[in-house]
Parts: sequence; structure tokens; C-alpha cells
Amino acid sequence: MSAVAEPPPPGPGPKVEEPLTHEELNALFADPPGLWGQLTGVQNDKLGARLLFTGFFFLLLGGSVDSVVMRLQLAIAENSLVSPETYNELFTNHGTVVMFLVILPIFEGFAILLLPLILGTRELPFPRLGAFSYWTVLFGGLLYYSSTLFQLVPDAGWFAYTPLSGPTYSPDLALDFWVLGLGVAEVGAIAAAIEIIIGVLKMRAPGMTLSRLPIFAWALLVFSFMILFAFTPLIIGSLLLELDRGFGTQFFNPAQGGSSLLWQHLFWIFGHPEVYIQFVPASGVVSMIIPVFMRKRLVGYTWLVGALVAIGFLSFGLWAHHMFAVGLPPLVLSFFAAASMLIAVPAGVQFVGWLSTIWAGRAQWKTPLLFVVGFLVIFVIGGITGVMVAAVPFDLQAHDSFFVVAHMHYVLIGGVAFPIFAGVYYWFPKFTGKMLDERLGRWNFWLLFVGVNVTFFPMHIVGLLGMPRRVYTYSDDLGWGPYNLASTIGVLAFIVPGIAVFIWNVLRSMRRGERAGNNPWGGDTLEWATSSPPAEHGWSVLPIVTSRHPMWDQTELHKGDERLERFVQALAQWPLRWRAAVIVGTADARPQEVFRVAHPSIWPLVAACGVVLIFIAELIKLRWIIAVAVVTVVVALIGWNWPEDPPMSVEEEEAFEREHGVAVNAGGSVVVATWGMGLAILFVGIAFSALLLSYFYLRLENPIWPPPGIDEPGLARAAVAAALLAVSGRVVYVALRRVRIGDQTGFVMGLIGTLVLGLGAFLLQFRDILTMEFGATQHAYGSIFHTLAWFVGVVTVGGMVMLATAAYWAVRGQYTVRRHATVANIARFWTAAVVIWAAGFGTLYLGPYLT
Amino acid sequence: MTLLLAQALDPEGPVAESAAGLWWLMLALGAGVFVIFAVFLGVGLFRARPGDAPEAGPQPPDRFGPWLVGGGVALPLVVIAIVFAATVHAMRDVPTRAPAGALVVEVVGHQWWWEVRYPAEGITTANEMHIPVGRSVALQLTSADVIHSFWVPALGGKLDLLPDKVNTLVLEADEPGRHLNRCAEFCGLQHTLMGMDVVAERPDAFAAWVSSRQPAAAEPAAPDALRGRDVFLGAGGCASCHSVRGTSATATTGPELTHVASRASLGAAAVPNTPDELARWVSDPHTIKRGVAMPAPEISGEQLADLLAYLGTLR
Repeated sequence: MSAVAEPPPPGPGPKVEEPLTHEELNALFADPPGLWGQLTGVQNDKLGARLLFTGFFFLLLGGSVDSVVMRLQLAIAENSLVSPETYNELFTNHGTVVMFLVILPIFEGFAILLLPLILGTRELPFPRLGAFSYWTVLFGGLLYYSSTLFQLVPDAGWFAYTPLSGPTYSPDLALDFWVLGLGVAEVGAIAAAIEIIIGVLKMRAPGMTLSRLPIFAWALLVFSFMILFAFTPLIIGSLLLELDRGFGTQFFNPAQGGSSLLWQHLFWIFGHPEVYIQFVPASGVVSMIIPVFMRKRLVGYTWLVGALVAIGFLSFGLWAHHMFAVGLPPLVLSFFAAASMLIAVPAGVQFVGWLSTIWAGRAQWKTPLLFVVGFLVIFVIGGITGVMVAAVPFDLQAHDSFFVVAHMHYVLIGGVAFPIFAGVYYWFPKFTGKMLDERLGRWNFWLLFVGVNVTFFPMHIVGLLGMPRRVYTYSDDLGWGPYNLASTIGVLAFIVPGIAVFIWNVLRSMRRGERAGNNPWGGDTLEWATSSPPAEHGWSVLPIVTSRHPMWDQTELHKGDERLERFVQALAQWPLRWRAAVIVGTADARPQEVFRVAHPSIWPLVAACGVVLIFIAELIKLRWIIAVAVVTVVVALIGWNWPEDPPMSVEEEEAFEREHGVAVNAGGSVVVATWGMGLAILFVGIAFSALLLSYFYLRLENPIWPPPGIDEPGLARAAVAAALLAVSGRVVYVALRRVRIGDQTGFVMGLIGTLVLGLGAFLLQFRDILTMEFGATQHAYGSIFHTLAWFVGVVTVGGMVMLATAAYWAVRGQYTVRRHATVANIARFWTAAVVIWAAGFGTLYLGPYLT
Repeated sequence: MTLLLAQALDPEGPVAESAAGLWWLMLALGAGVFVIFAVFLGVGLFRARPGDAPEAGPQPPDRFGPWLVGGGVALPLVVIAIVFAATVHAMRDVPTRAPAGALVVEVVGHQWWWEVRYPAEGITTANEMHIPVGRSVALQLTSADVIHSFWVPALGGKLDLLPDKVNTLVLEADEPGRHLNRCAEFCGLQHTLMGMDVVAERPDAFAAWVSSRQPAAAEPAAPDALRGRDVFLGAGGCASCHSVRGTSATATTGPELTHVASRASLGAAAVPNTPDELARWVSDPHTIKRGVAMPAPEISGEQLADLLAYLGTLR
């Protein structure tokens, strides 16, 4: 990088253009008014704000009330404020809510709210998926919380270890609320992750290359990939647990070949990355705020991006450090100890980057900076104790003691909650047009900073004194009293008032806060160019980015090479009848495609209702409703993706293409759909891998496989079925080639041929499965055999539904030489289904012979 | 300093000692890292700088590369290399197999009590464990129901009791002492009240304890105790779940009671074993430990008095 100028003092920065079409575009991107608009809305500001609000709502409910009651109970020895039942419910709820329903929605809210502005795009790729994500998170949280109404509050801890959480030791429905309510919310988290990944990679301002990508966007990209890779195994784990609880399978029943530890592996493969899923976006917020308030460009940008990616990868290699006490072999223990300690390297790089930026800059003492400095101090302590608990012999003392409670709260409050507060103070002006009060902000910060240390520091000591976690009382003679009292005082005297000040500040500032201009902090990134609050569409004329810090380095926001200039100006004038957004090249950020983003629709809400209905039906054991719900979801998905007539002729599109050299797809994006399908296939593949892992884990735990009394499966039918499916996997590409050369008849015949072959394979294979001599409830072998088989079956049926829909539209002439991207995506999915079929049934049928 | 009194850091056995040594090393390194961090942060934030307004004009590119390499990569690597080496070293002090000559004790976790067996000595007891000082003890840990965890901080780290596996925890006590083993893995409603006294004593005292636990229950002499035994063994009585060697009571659902009167505590270290607490426990255990599997017996006041008299003979 050549010599660069110091950033200017706080000022508005370059001007964003607001052409005459501004109002028209604003109206085009707005949700409909009234209640209907609330139900069908897809506008990203509204969805993001709702997610944020929902996350804070659950934080107050589960994060705060529960912890206050727990601290009151533990304030003095042998207290009897709450019963053992209630205490167990409180800590289960506290952990569950914070880990699943608070931090995730808050960061997804930040992402959906901010990304279009930060990236300089009008919308995210799948507005309807964003709406679906919101509804599922909300409904999942409410379903989980509804357990309170029925006095069936989950009480097996947020980790729900089997066999305690299994049907024998938790027979009532409380744990089903836990599994199923969170299941819905997990679906929502994955949906939002897909939205964010494609948004960051493909929807940016022209010129915003990967090396100019604001670091918060990098953090959200890593965050979203981690969600995809971590939550999917959890969904599979939850599925197996619910099958054990509701259908009598034996996955976690040691008496029938199941394993008590399989759950712990599946849970922590999710659970450890989950900690970093929360930390990564938080550190992204920190990397955004430090440069602005130190008036200094972030030092070591590339290093910090590398650190984020490294944390993402490393976090998946150290789950077993939660299992040091289960009796793993020493070699395994050493491996996971080393992997856990290695995370100190990327964390160290981040810290040096931040400290160097602070060193070189000059502090502007505003509340966001206070919270960031608080973050640095508290998180560094949590990081140091983190290395300590990675040291196995010490961890065997600290594990499941209050030392770990202290460590974890230093990490999560210091590392995540403080950056969230910093982020709220930083971006609040952008979204409300009002500043939060600085004096209240300082009170807010100091109360929380002192409170966190007074509350959690003594827990280190009391843990080393031998106090285990999750105990509702302790006897007086152990000497734990003073430390516990200090913790309780910390919560009541500092943290509770601190949160109260925050709420008061938000409410007060909403009504009569000081007005914020476009760029009150002198920020360097694109969101500060737009008005506060921003227009519905964010940008009338898209910005052209030539720097990592456009608001500091650029004097003009819409100047660049001439062709780009004409392109962004043209997009402000055309097309005003549909919501146009731009896809750019992943690396070079040159415009690739102008496409039509989805407008408001009721179908995401219907689909979310269908999903939650599936889980409710399982909860109340009225299983015929599941069929109704699945049909609802399928109908909703078809309605959601119903092809709409492009609001203009092909000629018009081609005219724009010729003029600007950028493809126009008013029928929907080709690029986004391809990426979406790729991520959907990835999701299915991860889920399948988690099931395969479960298969091999159970296989290793059982020396005799299949168990006595069960024969090895016959191979003939399965071989024929696999062959039929393999042929269908070729035929679908024949169909694709036909449509590309305009042969409609051959195309339709090919699709129908694929469908017929697939159906034949399916019927043949599942006739074999249904006539097996053993069921899913007979030994863990039967459980994993049937579950894996039906998983593959469902994937294949999903592919056949897509093929059938495509065949229907093909007969009606929907697909042309120019528009047939959907068919290509379905062909990709079908290929994945064929591969999964081969691997799945190959394992099931050949596995028993390979011993 | 109170920290020095912390149980885990006040080791009374070699396993706990090596964990404590590791802790002090890591605390020193951690404190060093924190001080370096705090100095850089404090000076960076507050040092005086010339001028108040930021400078305009060109500025050379950042020269923080060496800092990123040195502070961000090298320093953490050095620290974790030391910690990892110390970890591996300390792990070698934690045997995972029973050394020759070790005393073997089988521990079975139940919701919410501990079954303790000395196979070589022919003893089965519950919620009490005695071990000789200066000799390795190999605990064979397993569970009858959910996952529990065995933890005596002064003697060593914890290890889980799994229903489908036997884990071996090797401990040794250097000096006599009475410790509390407290379940460290959440195991349901009364996880909190799942404790057990672990008494480390001199070999002669240990031998005396073993021989006190070996004989079957003696025939009670007093008439009330004899009547109490009938209550104990009667249909639907205590013998449905408990066993007393030398009688027809052989059920294994609940704790073994042959020498219950000489144990230190009741209800898995829920309360001390005094006559008053025993009466309270037998008449309604749920007032002491809610949700425990043992029901309150439906017997008259006289029967209760007889039963308590009988239990008092089980020394």
C-alpha cells in the first residue's frame, strides 16, 4: 500500500447522491403498510431490527431474571429460596436461552440490518429467507418458552447429556420442549447463515473487492459458515435424541448397543464452535469500532482476517476439551489440549492488531470505545483462564466447577456482551437518527464493568475451593459463603442497575435523543454515507468503492471508471418497476448481474408455521398432524418460489445488457440461485456426514455388528436400486443439454425419465427396507440403519419433488434456452442425492460385511 | 491468602499436587501476559501525543509487522509450548491403569448415592470410602443409571462414571484426612446432595476399618430391635430395596445397610448420622432430600421406634 493520509476529523465525509427517483425507489422497497405488511414484510431493516429486539427480549427473560434468582439462592449457605427443581430449571433455562435465543438472533439482526449498508447494496439475496429465519427463531423461542405454561420446564442442563435427558430418566415432555423448540430456532439460524454468506460474497458495491471488505463483513462470513457446519450436526443430534424419546430408538441406550457419549460428541461438535460463533462477530464489531475512535486505520487488516478464518477452522478441532473427564485415552487428551491452546495464536494476532491500532491512534472517549476497552480487559482474562482449562490435569480439577463458570462468563460477557453494547451505542444513531446519551452510557459501562468483575472474579476462587457447578445450595462449613455473597452483590448492586440504565437510555433516546447526522462518529465505512435512518432501499445510486475506508479516503462516492459510473447512474433510473439489486464477482467486485430480489410474500410465514407445526405435532404426539404440516411446508415452498412473469420483455433486458455489459435477470438471479443450491447441498451433506459419523461411532462401540439375531442385509435389491439411481443421475444432464439447445421435447422426456428412474429406485429400495426383519427400536444397529436409510430417502424424495415441479413447468414451456437456471440447480441437487444414496446405502449394506 | 487454602491447590496426594504445580506455573505465565497487555493498552491509550488535531497529509505505511509476528504469533506460541510441555509432564503423573499393589475399589454411581465395593476384601458399602495413606488406590468407576463424576479436589482431578464403561481413576493420599467426594456431573434433581466421605487413614486404622466392615450383621439382642428387624424384613418393608448381610434382605436397589449405624452421614452426605437425623430420615427422607427414591414408610410410631432400634444395632 502506498502512502495514505490520516483520516480526517469527524465530519460527514463524501456525499451520497439522492436523485429524483429516490422516493420512488424508497416506496418500491418498502413493505406494505399495516398488519399485512408486518406478516409479509421482507425489508432488511425491519427484519434485522426485529431479530435484535427478539434477542434482547429473550436476554432479559432468560439471561437476567434467571441469573438474579440463582444468585439470590446462592447468596448465603443452605438457603431455601427456591426448590431444587426450580434451581435446576433456572440454570437449564439460563444456559439454553443465552446460547440459542439471545446472542445468535442479536448478531443475525446486526448482520441483516447492517450488511446492505456496509456492503453498499440495496438488499440481501433472499429477503424471503430472511423473513423465514425470523419467524422460525421467534416461533422456536416461543415454543421452547411455552413449556413454562405447562409446568414442564426442561431441567437437564443446557447440554442435556444422555442418558439423563433420555426417555428413562426424563420421562415427561419437558425435554421435548427443549429439543423441539430449539430445533425450530436452529432451522432459522441456518437459514439466516445462508442469506449472510451469499450476501457478503456476491452482493457488494462495485469495487469493494475482498481486500476492501469491511472486517465486520468478514467476521459475519466466518460466523455464517460456522453456523452451517456446527448447527447441522446439532440438528442431527437432536433428531436422534427425539427419536429415542418419542419413537423408542436406542441411540443413547447402553443396554441396547447405544452409547452415552455419542450425544456428547455430537453436542460439542456444535457446542464448542458455538462459543466462537458468538465471539467471531463480536470481534468483528471491535475491529470496526477501534479504528473509528482511535482515528487510525486498523493495523494488520489482512492478519486479522486470517485470524478470523483460522479461528473458524480451529474451533471445529477442539470439541473434546469439554470431555476431558469422560475417560478418553491420553493421546486423544493431548491432541485436544494442544488444539485448544493453539487458538491463542489467532487470538493473539487479533489482540496485537487492536493494541497496535490503539498505540498509533488517538482515543476519542465515547461510549463505544469504553465498551471496547472493557472488552479487551475482561476478555484477556477469560482467554488466559481458557489456556489454563486446556491443560488437562488442571482442567480435571477445574472442570464442572465454578472456575469454569467464571472463565466462561469472562469470555462471553467480556468477549461478546461488551462488543454487543459497543455495537448498539455505535450503530444506534444510524437506525434511529438519534444519539444515545453519553452520560448514561458512561454509567452503563462502569456499572457493568465493575459488576462483571465483582460477580465473576470470586467464582474462580470458590471453584478451586471445590464448589461444583449446578448445585442449588452448599453447607456453611465449606467456607464458600463470602465468595458467593460477593457474586450476588455484584449482580444486584452493579449489573442489574447497569442493564436498567441501558434500557432507560434506549427508551429515552428514542423519544428525545440528540439528532444524529449521517456520520456522527466520523466513521470510515459505507453505512455512514446514508441518511440516518436510512431509506428503505438504502442506496439510490450505488457507491463505487476504491478504498477500504471509503468515507475517509474518497472524496466522491459515485466516481470510478466511466463504464461503472454509467452503470450505477443507470440503475438509479431503471428499472423502477421491480426491486433491482446487483451481483458482483466474488474477488474483483465487478458487476456480473442485475437481478430481481423477492418482494413481500406471506409464504415465508406459512412455511415457518408449517415447520413449527411439525415440531408441535411431535411434541403432543399427534403424529398425523406431521403429515399435514409437511404438506403445508411443501406447498409454501412451491408458492414461495412460484415463477413470476418478468415485469418486462427479454428485449428490454437485452438492451440494458448491451448498454452496460452486465446480465439482467428480472426473473430471478442465476448466480444467487446457484449459490443457494450449493449451500443447500452443503447443508444436506453435513447432516448426512453427522449421521455417518454416528453410524461409525456406534459401530466402534459394538464389537458385534450386526448384533446377534440380525443377519447381514441382502445386496441384490439395493444394488439394482443404486444402479437405477445412478442412471437417472446421468439422464438429468441429458435433459439439461436438451433445453440448452432448445429441444423442448427431449428436455421434457429427459426430466420425466429421471423422475421415473428415481421413483423406481426409491420403491425398490424402500420395499427392501420396509420388509427388513428388524425395526428401528431393536438395538442401536436397527436404529441407525433405519434412520440413515430414511434420511437418504427424504433427500431423494425432496429431489423428486423438485424434478416433478420442474417437469410441470417444463410442460408449460417455462424454461427456455435463456432461462433454465432452475433446472441446472435441480440437476446439481439430484447429483448430490445420488452420491448420498451411494454412500449411505453403501455403508448400510456393505458395512456389516467389512469385519 | 485464602487462595492458598483452596482445596484443589492444597494437595494431599501426588495427583492433586501435579495439577496444583501446573496451576501455579500457568498463573505466573498468565499474570505476565496480562501485565504486558495492560502496559501496552494503558500507554497506548493515555500517553501524551504532540498536538491535538490529527495530522493531515501523507503518512508512511504501518510498521507493525514485527509486532504482529512477535506479539501475535511468537509470544502465544512460546507460552503455550511451555504450558503444553508442563501439561504432558503432569499428565504422566496421572496413571490411567492400576499400578501393581494398588487397592482396588469399585464405585458405582446411582441417582443420588455411591455404591462402594472392595472386591479383594469382600466389602460392599455405600456413601463411605476409606483408603490407606501411602498406597495407590485404583477406583473402578461406573454408573447404574446416568453419568456422574467422582471428585475429591484434595486428592486429584475428577473422572466420570459412565453407564457403559468402566473408567479407572488412580489416586493416592499422602496424609490422613477426611474429604468430601461430591458428584461433579449434573445427574438430576438431587445432584447437589450426592456426596460421600472419603477417609484417608494410616494402614493399621484402615485394616481395622476393613475388618469392622467384613462381618455380617449380628443377631440383635434387645426385644425392640428384634421387632424392628421384622419391620425391616416384612413385606413392603425396607428389605424391598436394601440389603443387610446375614439376613434375608438382599435387594440391591438402595444402599447396603449392614453397618449403617457406624457411618458418618446419611443420604449420601446429606446430613450427619445422628439418632435424630436418622429418625427424621427414616420417617420421611423427603424432608431432607426431596425426590429421593426412598418413600416415607407407612408404619406406626411404635414400629418406627423399633425400626430405629434395629438400625442402631447395625454397627
